[in-house]
Amino acid sequence: MSTSTRSVAARRDARAALLFLAPAVLFLAVFVAYPLLTAGVLSFHSWDGVSPRQWTGLTNYERLLGDRIFWGSLRNNVLVALTAIVFQVGVGMVIAYWLVRVVPRIKRFAMFVYVVPVVISEICIGLLWGFVYNPYFGLLNGFLNAVGLDELARGWLGDRSTAMPAVLVVMNLTYLGLYILLFVAAFENVDEAVYDAAAIDGAGHYRTFFSVSVPMVWSNVQATTLLAVVSSFKTFSLVYVLTRGGPSNATDVVSTYLFQTGFGNFEAGYASTIGFAQILLTAAVGVFVLGLMRRGKRGEA
Amino acid sequence: MRIRSAWRAALAAGAALVMLSACAGAGGSADTSGGGKTLEIWHAYAGQKDKVEFIEYALDTFKKAHPDIKVKEVSAEQSSYKTKLQTAMASGNAPDVFYTLPGGYLKAFVDSGQVLRLDDELAKQGWRDSFLESSLPSVTFGGSTYAVPIDIDAALVWYNKALFDAKGWQVPTTWPEFLDLAEKIKSAGVVPVALGNKDSWPATFWFQYAEMRLHGSGVMSGFGAGDKNATFGPEAKDAAGVLQTLAQKGYLPKGANGMSDAEANILFLNGKAAMVLNGTWQIGMSAEAPAGFELGYFPFPTFAAGKGNQSDVLAGVAASFAVSEKAKDKEAALAFLRHITSPEVMTKYVQIRKTMVARKGATTPEAAGPLLAGVVQDVIGKADTLDPFYDTAMAPKTTETYYSTLQGLIDGSIPPAAASEAIENAAKAGK
Repeated sequence: MSTSTRSVAARRDARAALLFLAPAVLFLAVFVAYPLLTAGVLSFHSWDGVSPRQWTGLTNYERLLGDRIFWGSLRNNVLVALTAIVFQVGVGMVIAYWLVRVVPRIKRFAMFVYVVPVVISEICIGLLWGFVYNPYFGLLNGFLNAVGLDELARGWLGDRSTAMPAVLVVMNLTYLGLYILLFVAAFENVDEAVYDAAAIDGAGHYRTFFSVSVPMVWSNVQATTLLAVVSSFKTFSLVYVLTRGGPSNATDVVSTYLFQTGFGNFEAGYASTIGFAQILLTAAVGVFVLGLMRRGKRGEA
Repeated sequence: MRIRSAWRAALAAGAALVMLSACAGAGGSADTSGGGKTLEIWHAYAGQKDKVEFIEYALDTFKKAHPDIKVKEVSAEQSSYKTKLQTAMASGNAPDVFYTLPGGYLKAFVDSGQVLRLDDELAKQGWRDSFLESSLPSVTFGGSTYAVPIDIDAALVWYNKALFDAKGWQVPTTWPEFLDLAEKIKSAGVVPVALGNKDSWPATFWFQYAEMRLHGSGVMSGFGAGDKNATFGPEAKDAAGVLQTLAQKGYLPKGANGMSDAEANILFLNGKAAMVLNGTWQIGMSAEAPAGFELGYFPFPTFAAGKGNQSDVLAGVAASFAVSEKAKDKEAALAFLRHITSPEVMTKYVQIRKTMVARKGATTPEAAGPLLAGVVQDVIGKADTLDPFYDTAMAPKTTETYYSTLQGLIDGSIPPAAASEAIENAAKAGK
């Protein structure tokens, strides 16, 4: 008797759970699963978006393997991810520690300043930086000329050798605030007693940071690193606004190349192939990074 | 029971939400009252004051003349419009009447059989003859015309007249003269040519004009028509060299490939750059120049050994209107096409936008203003052929190669020979 009431209760719970889950599942099915499947099918076709699509088998994937622009844009994504790990997660961690442990009095004000770029639209930030980099009336060259470094002044975004570094600087400065925010929250959750113990042991800030703070928030480090890597592989708007991927594809990332292929060249099939490769690569890199960090944690312990 | 009614209320609320969002989805459109017939018109005259002013005039006068037709207007800004129309065409939901770019963009819709053939209608009442002859090839495919051209943009060299007068610089007519002048301008600390090539189209004018002078006009039309002998010829290498010369001699702004057309225009209007090769829209772009600025123009320089006609002009139809094959009320749709290309509406267009229109006689000196009237008379009037813009005539994928190759010429990463070969191959592959 009692088991049957429990099973009735359980069934009722399950029904309620399904009911509550249904909207989310429906949403995912319509807006994520269905487009994903369609794109998957499309990646085996050649389609200009207008005339009937043609089945081309693996042709698109073969083309992808030999596509220098694609690999170049992927290399740029890797650059974005590497600099994000160093300058967003790494530097963000140091600044957050400094704010929480060294100068807690200016923490509120400093965080406000760091978070401003995070809440401003990326399009606006891109446009503003476009003016900073302008070779003739931009701030950067103006500053260089003012301090007598005229020979360093150049057309930052139009020069092949400086375009990608210029874009990377903007990206890292823009998103840095987000990571500071996350790490400030994490460091504040660390029990004060741990720091007291470290202080009694005679640890300075350097030692405390590496031996106490970072290990204590290691799961946050993992999560933020993953976030940085995944968003680096999806990045689009800043590149698009600053350079459109040029000059001659020098700053293209996978997303801008995909956009160009799909909506500039009207090659919907090949664009889907690029999109699919992007999903697989992002997932693979994410798994790789997580695995690496788990090993790092074990080494630490 | 109570739970059930709450559930029902939630459902009702959900349904209401869906309906609301459906309304919001139609936000870009405006229904205007009228009789029984409905005509859906899509256009890209949005986002810019002069464009909006023109289309409002065209639609208001159309509604007054045809009170029985109910007009449903859908507008979008140019760059998003291209994608929007493409998407509608892909799903087979073409609007009755639509604004479209001519050339390759329109051809894709024509090839998929979604655009109404206008030949019979154009033959009536001399409609076809009311257009400039040079404006029709870009909307004609396989001998049939599928859209009516609206405006024509021509590219020529614009210069800062006040600056030229102050420095005593002379307007050049030949290419060596142009290079001498550029050297003089450069040594005066002014950028000779304001080229902002971030969006890639501005540099195409240089390559195409050089190609037209050195090899001749009509190359891209040959590729478009599927002519097997179509080629840019051995002269394309020298045409590519023209652009690279400008870059290597330092006649272009620093970082030209990373500078937008608007940023380059700021250099030009403020006297930091002396010349710019741009379309007739430069007249409108110079409207907000600082006091004392005076805009001058001259035709693209001539090449003594060039095989092309040295007076030809790079000019093409910028926009056109077409009717969907599936339009329910074709008569109403055609009535709109006739209305928007009528002398009255087209003259208004010239008045508002200061660009040339395809309708004969509508670009009057009074409506155009002295600058545009002068361009029409001195440059376009003397041209043998108007060669349409390569990048709009090309297949989209070819355009992409064309663009990135020219960017490579400017930054020196691609030599002229490799560039001309890449462009030739892309044009052949794209047909």
